[in-house]
Amino acid sequence: MLRDITLGQYYQTDSVIHRLDPRVKLVTTFFYIISLFIVDNWIGYLAAGLFLLAVIKLSKVPFKFMVRGMKSIVFLLLIAVVFNLFLTPGEPLVTIWKLRITKEGIRLAGFMAVRLVFLIMGSSVMTLTTTPNNLTDALEKLLKPLKFFKVPVHEIAMMMSIALRFIPILLEETDKIMKAQIARGADFESGNLIKKAKSLVPLLVPLFISAFRRANDLAMAMEARCYRGGEQRTKMKPLIYRKRDFLAYGTVVCYFAAAILAGKILW
Amino acid sequence: MGIIKTKDLVFEYIRRDEEGNVEGITKAVDEVSLNVEEGDFVAILGHNGSGKSTLAKHINAILYPTEGTVWVDGMDTTDENKLWEIRQEAGMVFQNPDNQIIGQVVEEDVGFGPENLGVPTKEIWERVEESLKAVGMYEFRKYSPNKLSGGQKQRVSIAGVIAMHPKCIILDEPTAMLDPSGRREVIRAVRALNDVERITMILITHYMEEIIYANKVFVMDKGRVAMEGTPREIFSQVEKLKELRLDVPQVTLLAHELKKSGLNIPDGILTTQELVKALGL
Repeated sequence: MLRDITLGQYYQTDSVIHRLDPRVKLVTTFFYIISLFIVDNWIGYLAAGLFLLAVIKLSKVPFKFMVRGMKSIVFLLLIAVVFNLFLTPGEPLVTIWKLRITKEGIRLAGFMAVRLVFLIMGSSVMTLTTTPNNLTDALEKLLKPLKFFKVPVHEIAMMMSIALRFIPILLEETDKIMKAQIARGADFESGNLIKKAKSLVPLLVPLFISAFRRANDLAMAMEARCYRGGEQRTKMKPLIYRKRDFLAYGTVVCYFAAAILAGKILW
Repeated sequence: MGIIKTKDLVFEYIRRDEEGNVEGITKAVDEVSLNVEEGDFVAILGHNGSGKSTLAKHINAILYPTEGTVWVDGMDTTDENKLWEIRQEAGMVFQNPDNQIIGQVVEEDVGFGPENLGVPTKEIWERVEESLKAVGMYEFRKYSPNKLSGGQKQRVSIAGVIAMHPKCIILDEPTAMLDPSGRREVIRAVRALNDVERITMILITHYMEEIIYANKVFVMDKGRVAMEGTPREIFSQVEKLKELRLDVPQVTLLAHELKKSGLNIPDGILTTQELVKALGL
């Protein structure tokens, strides 16, 4: 059943990482990615790797789930490695026909690969241990200062969470319309790309009409339940920092300092 | 004055053609005056396009009268300062369960209303618990609404309204998209809330079986109130209901036909048991 799909890739279990405030996880991921791009020697990457390993261990999420996210970037990873390998100028090691592999090339390609792998794994840890709902809440809280610049932060967060709720519903609807149109002789399978794109019209038009109707109904239902934007609204599940969250922030600062020190200043 | 009162309520909408020129004016609600007392269970019955949903939207201040007045607990719905108070006191449940659930978890959806009212966090949790228990959905509080059946979703929607502590709930065809068992679930919850919590219920429907529990019924046709009375009074006029293109419950219809062919039974039989009794079996 389409309705059973889980959005994002949340892995349900109880661990220290799961219980952390989503804001901590969001900020940590952000700084972790920055650290990956600042660092440019093996000692720095060793620090990054150890930190990642420790977090994965603490999160109790099986390692294979981290690797699963990697599948989608294999191609990108390959391109990055190949380009770096062959196109970096420097001291040549091997020359095959017109292609030259340089010492610097190997180094850069290696860094690039490690960087991408860590980046994907690092963000996977966040999405595996935080529900999409919590992430939206965290985003709303963290971006609150932007309100000063008239950015509608609450509204954006509300839109995101409504979108998350309606994705499975609209998917199911797509499935229903598709079957209805196939029953009337529509053909979504054969033909070239242009023909296939054209055959989507009888699917998309009813889908859009229904989505607008739903949006209209939902807006009315929200107003009927006294929704009037983010002003003077209270939270059922407010985000409150606890002791462990401050500890986590401390650890992250230590890691960041260590990684920069090791990766940039000392060597 | 009752909790909800309308006086000479008229609502017109302007039909326009594709260029936006006025084609004509339709009176969706025409000179409706009604009075609902606190604790009542009122059913509003009518065929498609009879104006019953339009009437419902006036009570929640989603639509405003073209002429006439609507009062909710003594507040005029056109008074902008009272808008949120009116919407809190007169909650509304809509037809499509999917299009009125906002939260991604049942308990979060029920908490949405109190959040909007600015209720403190601790009290929100208390209200959510009590409302979910009132509709018998407490054990589903951690579920995603997408995994519930239609009847369960509609009960969650009702819980979401109760959590706002309304005096009155307007249910706009809450069972139209449900299967028979879901329909029974919802009606049972509505009756229980009316009986136990004394919340005024206004049930809008076109299913005749659902109105037999009401203590007052309004039948609408072409924007007007065509009939008014207790379910028994309404169902004794089978011919008139047929004229209004409304179905009569099978038992009532059978009793009516039996009476017409000469049997001595009273008018307005509502349940099978009553008919059995009347026939002296």
